[in-house]
Amino acid sequence: MPVVDVDPDELRRLAGHEEKSEEDLLDDLFELGLEFEGETEAGELQLEFEADRLDRLSVEGIARSLRYQYGDDRGVYVPPTNAPEWTIAVDESVPEQRPYVTGAVVRGLDIDERGLDSLLQLQEKLHATMGRGRAKGAIGVHDLAMLKGQARKDGDANSIAYRGVEPNGDSFVPLDSDAELTPREVLTEHPTGDTYADLVAGYERYPAIYDDLGLFSFPPVINGRRTEVSPGSRELLIEMTGTDQWTIDRMCAILCYALSARGATIERVTVAYPDRELDRPDFAVGEKRVTHDRIERTLGVGFEKREVIDLLERSGLDASVEHDGDERDGLDGATGDASASADPTDAGDLTYAVSIPPYRVDVLHPVDVIDDVGRAHGFNELEPRYPAVGTVGGRGERSRHERAVRETLVGLGFQDLLNFHLTSGAEVFERMGLAPDDSASTPAGDPGAPGSPLGAAPPATIREPYSRAYTIVRTWALPSLLQVLEHNTHRSYPQDLAEVGLAARVDPETETGVAERRTVAAVLARTDASYEDAKARLRALARAFGAELETPPTEHPSFIEGRAASVMLDGERAGIVGELHPRVLVEHDLELPVAAFECRLDALR
Amino acid sequence: MKLPEAQVAVLEAASATEAQSTDRIAAETGLDPATATGAAFALDEAGLLAVSERAEASVTPTDEGREYAETELPEVRLHAAVREVGGEAALDSVLDRAGLDGPQVDVALSNYARKGYGEIESGNVTVDPDADPDDDPERTALATLVDGGIVDDESILDRLDRRDLIERRETTVRSVRLTDEGVTALMEGVEATERVGQLTPELLASGEWRDAAFAEYDVDADAERLDGGGIHPLRRTAERVTDVLVGMGFSEMEGPHADAEFWINDCLFMPQDHPARTHWDQFALSNPDRVDDLPDELVERVREAHREGVGEDGDGYHSPWSADVARGLSLRGHTTSLSARYLSGEAVGELEPPERFFSVEKVYRNDTLDATHLLEFFQIEGWVMAADLSVRDLMGTFTEFYAQFGITDLQFKPTYNPYTEPSFELFGEHPTTGELVEIGNSGLFRPEMLDPLGVDCDVMAWGLALERLLMLTHGFEDVRDVHGTLVDLQFLRDAEVIY
Repeated sequence: MPVVDVDPDELRRLAGHEEKSEEDLLDDLFELGLEFEGETEAGELQLEFEADRLDRLSVEGIARSLRYQYGDDRGVYVPPTNAPEWTIAVDESVPEQRPYVTGAVVRGLDIDERGLDSLLQLQEKLHATMGRGRAKGAIGVHDLAMLKGQARKDGDANSIAYRGVEPNGDSFVPLDSDAELTPREVLTEHPTGDTYADLVAGYERYPAIYDDLGLFSFPPVINGRRTEVSPGSRELLIEMTGTDQWTIDRMCAILCYALSARGATIERVTVAYPDRELDRPDFAVGEKRVTHDRIERTLGVGFEKREVIDLLERSGLDASVEHDGDERDGLDGATGDASASADPTDAGDLTYAVSIPPYRVDVLHPVDVIDDVGRAHGFNELEPRYPAVGTVGGRGERSRHERAVRETLVGLGFQDLLNFHLTSGAEVFERMGLAPDDSASTPAGDPGAPGSPLGAAPPATIREPYSRAYTIVRTWALPSLLQVLEHNTHRSYPQDLAEVGLAARVDPETETGVAERRTVAAVLARTDASYEDAKARLRALARAFGAELETPPTEHPSFIEGRAASVMLDGERAGIVGELHPRVLVEHDLELPVAAFECRLDALR
Repeated sequence: MKLPEAQVAVLEAASATEAQSTDRIAAETGLDPATATGAAFALDEAGLLAVSERAEASVTPTDEGREYAETELPEVRLHAAVREVGGEAALDSVLDRAGLDGPQVDVALSNYARKGYGEIESGNVTVDPDADPDDDPERTALATLVDGGIVDDESILDRLDRRDLIERRETTVRSVRLTDEGVTALMEGVEATERVGQLTPELLASGEWRDAAFAEYDVDADAERLDGGGIHPLRRTAERVTDVLVGMGFSEMEGPHADAEFWINDCLFMPQDHPARTHWDQFALSNPDRVDDLPDELVERVREAHREGVGEDGDGYHSPWSADVARGLSLRGHTTSLSARYLSGEAVGELEPPERFFSVEKVYRNDTLDATHLLEFFQIEGWVMAADLSVRDLMGTFTEFYAQFGITDLQFKPTYNPYTEPSFELFGEHPTTGELVEIGNSGLFRPEMLDPLGVDCDVMAWGLALERLLMLTHGFEDVRDVHGTLVDLQFLRDAEVIY
């Protein structure tokens, strides 16, 4: 979850409550869902919050939410904007992978070092969240005073251009550099270029922004040094490029709201695509219609109409009654349990048209508006009730079967284990003496397939594993039990261990391509462990489930030759029983014999 | 007459004429002193033996006293050595022969003259021909005492005490003497009854057990440690959760661990470019890497929900959506994939509300392994489907569920999940520490999830890591101790059974 560093004094100032103690402030923030994580060295609050309210990625946005919470502000606020004097002209040469741009001009800015840091933090957090690491949207902030733009044609505004540049085309001096570099040189020679090179990999032309003096920004990679913003900057040009117009417009709105909250004036820009013109930033207020009935049903309480409107306004939204289907206005009197009047006709068609400010990127559906009503009302104010819904519960058959087998094994003296399903090829193959070749052929390793060693199946394999120890899903369970024995050689013997768990193998015949099965595995590690010990227990287990056990001799690389048998349950090949090969024991640092068996759970029925 | 073995031995060792200490009897019979005393009292009870107790200064030979009783008193040894060389000798020359050195020389010299064994003058030792060390009362008394006998002569005892050859203590001395009945019994013959070590089938079958006396065990002694089989504590917790949920009317779900992205994420209205869908958070598979068989109509409806939203006023995500991504195969990062399969009708056919379903099953996440995080863990997943559900119903359900585990006073913190709205993190008070800990995540499924799945009623759902519940109920601190191949068997063997 995102974490934002916030200067508490600035937050108090922007929220208009300089008197708030830190403790009160933190309580108020928790109410908003912002959790205090700690303090930075500079004494800033580190606040963690959920990734839906991206308008709270800055101190300005958090202050705005606090003002609504305190009731100091109500309803939708849209900052005033001035008419455009600048145009961003989109050239046909813009790379097709990144066709969209938006922007704004900011004037009358008065920020100090801290304000600038806050701006940069917001930019960075927007990149990390909505911008998907700059891939979907990247922000460039420039000192407008350093830009020189001419009108495209007479009577038109000043203009800059978004276009494509050949990799070895025009050069510019990027931030944190003294040298003039071409875009390709930036990607190979500049540390920032190196970091973001993947984002433009495969581009024939790179995105570039030009003014009259030339290339000054190479989105989404790096800006030029010429237009770098400093605390002395008073006027800014903001441009954002990306793969989706809506996304960059929302990012732009969030940034402009923050700058406006610092007293700056927002001036619109014209984004001129070859086929259309846009007036930006897009501060259009959205609308969702939500019925009174839906609010009451979801929250489980009755509200009066004015209460709902009040709660919405306190959430920074506006609401008007769009369609008051109930002329009696009876709802103003209706309180208490909504389920008592759950019939929608009771509520008529009372519907609110709710205005959504442009920074609220999280409101997709009327339910999101209902959530705001609930938050403003206080969810913890609601009385829990057990739903009066009758259903008959029960376990699944497989789960009952698994439990019964596990209980039988414990009755036979086994310690029940719970091992990871994730493991490595080394554990399930090499260390068990299974030749890796065995896993190549399909359908090898299926306990039901004659002549293939149990476990030697092609494993479901993780694409990008966490570590070499966890690269596949285990093909059989005995290797896990051997690992437990290996880690417990300092503990007293006998160690009789068993597990009922999952094993899987690649099988194109199944729905997912992975054949998952429940497997029953057991080991007896004791100074005199023998084949007979294992078979005796397996026989008891089979008998308990009414399955007839036969054990014709077989060969398996993990077992001693002549001391391994196929487990046949009711005539079906289901697994293996035998004494583990000394090679396998020594590999696991074991100094005593181990007898073992493993079979399919579903054969025990 | 038949008596237990120990009593027979004591009876036979006792005398009708001389009182003997129980210690002496014990020494003579080879019985443990406590056993001998016990037998003596039993015989006293039967009237065969008289046990008399005296609170008496008990006299115990010191180590030095015992040594002299064995090797003779130093003065006696000196006397013997001088006599052997003719009754007179230079002291220096005779000490070696007497085997005396160190402090024993002084002991020998100071007692030699006192006892009138002879004289020591100017380095010469002579023997008094009348002296007879064999009659030395100190020597005799010491021998008697070492032998367990009783010496009554106070003056002799005083002398031995002064020489530190005995230690005198106030103790209870028990002495035994045969009674007339005892003598009679012995004359008539006393046999030891058989002592039975092990009750055998033969004893039972023959009826001999009726005459058998069972050897007593030291029942207080440690028994061998036994580690029987046992259910794994985490499994036991899973079973208990299952019991509770079944009791609340929930039915169990099951389904694939490796599943299509479609069921794991797309059906849950997770945008395809959501950060949690990268390999940093979940395990995509490379072999096999895709599922071709997806329900086409449902895929189209889900795509539509992602792109356009649901309902008149619904907005979709401004994120790309491709069926190719949906066909990708991953290990499920949550069991909500099962909920999606069940809600869609894919798992068990169309569901008619009301329904309650749950699972307690493994999920896989590419997290950093540490004391509270594993790459795979159990997720408790539950949901309720009904015509009309509110957040209050959700709160009420959790309140009942967690109360079963001693977790009360639930707090609901509004939160954000892509597939639920409203959404809550659940916090509860730790039963022992009183800390407020996060115990679950919950919410009402969004219309964008339910609508494509064909569900036209409300569904509320929640999820919780089983391991977290286990750590709360057992107070375990490192989840790695509990789950996986690194488990310490001793930990499992010692784990308290929580029910």
